[in-house]
Amino acid sequence: MSEAIKLRLENIGKRFDVAGAARTIAVQDFTLDVAQGEFLVIVGPSGCGKTTVLNMLAGLELPTTGTVSLNGRRITGPGPERGVMFQDYALFPWHTVWGNVEFGLRHGPAGDGLDAAARERRVRSHIDLVGLSGSEGKYPHQLSGGMRQRVALARLMANEPAVLLMDEPLAALDAQTRIILQEELLRIWGQDRPSAERRTVVFITHAIDEAVFLADRVAVMTTHPGRLKAVIDVPLPRPRDDATRAQSQFQALSQHIWGLIRDEAYRATVT
Amino acid sequence: MLPLALVFVWQTWGVITGNPRTPVPTRVVAAALQLIESGELPLAIVQSLGRVFAGFAIAALLAIPLGLAMGSFRRVERNVDPLVESFRPIAAIAILPLAILWLGTGTPAAVLIVAYAAFFPIVVNTVAGAKRISPTLLRAAATMGLNRFKVIRTVVVPGALPSIGVGLRIAMGVAWTAIVAAELAVGAKAGGGGSGGIGQMMFVFYAYSIELNRIVVCMIAVGLVALALDRLLRGGLRFFMPWMAR
Repeated sequence: MSEAIKLRLENIGKRFDVAGAARTIAVQDFTLDVAQGEFLVIVGPSGCGKTTVLNMLAGLELPTTGTVSLNGRRITGPGPERGVMFQDYALFPWHTVWGNVEFGLRHGPAGDGLDAAARERRVRSHIDLVGLSGSEGKYPHQLSGGMRQRVALARLMANEPAVLLMDEPLAALDAQTRIILQEELLRIWGQDRPSAERRTVVFITHAIDEAVFLADRVAVMTTHPGRLKAVIDVPLPRPRDDATRAQSQFQALSQHIWGLIRDEAYRATVT
Repeated sequence: MLPLALVFVWQTWGVITGNPRTPVPTRVVAAALQLIESGELPLAIVQSLGRVFAGFAIAALLAIPLGLAMGSFRRVERNVDPLVESFRPIAAIAILPLAILWLGTGTPAAVLIVAYAAFFPIVVNTVAGAKRISPTLLRAAATMGLNRFKVIRTVVVPGALPSIGVGLRIAMGVAWTAIVAAELAVGAKAGGGGSGGIGQMMFVFYAYSIELNRIVVCMIAVGLVALALDRLLRGGLRFFMPWMAR
């Protein structure tokens, strides 16, 4: 990796002290760099601490040991330069599609320096970008899962954060919607642009094919405690589309990663 | 169907027993028309409503901010909750002696009773609403760079609104109950020459003229006004929470 390092996780450890119970080690000895413009996907069986790693990047949790940094500066809390997409969408039920996409611009620092007209243009373009034109006035409960996830994506992108942190954003969707949104996600991320102009992405999933389809590199985690087991390069050319999934290299990478976590995934089903 | 049947049974029973003082539907309706025509009933309702609105507004203005603070900051809750919970079981009517001694038998005492009674349902429901907000929503706002107070204004307040609405509806009912009780008691204290209102009117009919029909009219009026208030409040809440419409 010759590109500039954007995110750095150095010897991260995270313990949870539960009153009256043995302390749980969620993450241990986790070291990983993410380059500017890179799409990094973390996969691992459930309970391997991948969400904890993401939360530490978001600043929602702090590591017990080690440091997490962005552009060389230590992360000590949440910040608008690191946008998060949550698994359960986290849309505000009292806002319409428009109000949700506008939220960060209206109430957060992402909207500083934007006048009302510029803000409106920004919201408009992001609603168009995710294909929700015509649904601006709907409330989240009136939308399908796929549409909600599009709103969450538009809200995230409208704030223009330098880093996108995504916690299993597609996990709750059906298989067809997932495949469509994976491609949309790459399009919106800007997979045909040079990496200096792309946003840096850390994406969490438990679906191996999804990881291979999206990622520049796949970080494989193991469980108890959560550790980094391997980092796999995905040299599949971009832009990627349906044809990518049919390539033998795609299949081979998926099989390889499955081989790395199969035993643990199996054990998780019998214990 | 059932209400009609009940009215019929009531009327028949009253006619059979034959006591001319026994309130039966026909006599009650006649008494109601009389009280409306003379303007006594409308005036009494307006007087009581004024006190209810004043007390209710005071309670809401105090209880909603306090409830939001309690629901958002654990330290505030730890300090204030024991206070709230130890006063809550003390019935509004139990503070009436103090209210009358301090404020006399006029409107201020009645407003105080109403405010006291309405305060607790609002505060308890506001706290519950603020605490029930999905932590992911709070986190989402934090990751967009909002500070604690902005998160309260933009996430906790709208998120707690349905629960606050429930509190307001309960409080409105309680306020109306309290005003009738307070006016009855104030009426007793003031010897019928007090400050008006529907409770006072009931007291006069009870203690001086012994007109059961008119008392029943008052009871029905109290129920109908309560129903109207709740409908009004529900309509208002629906207007402020368009996302709750299904």
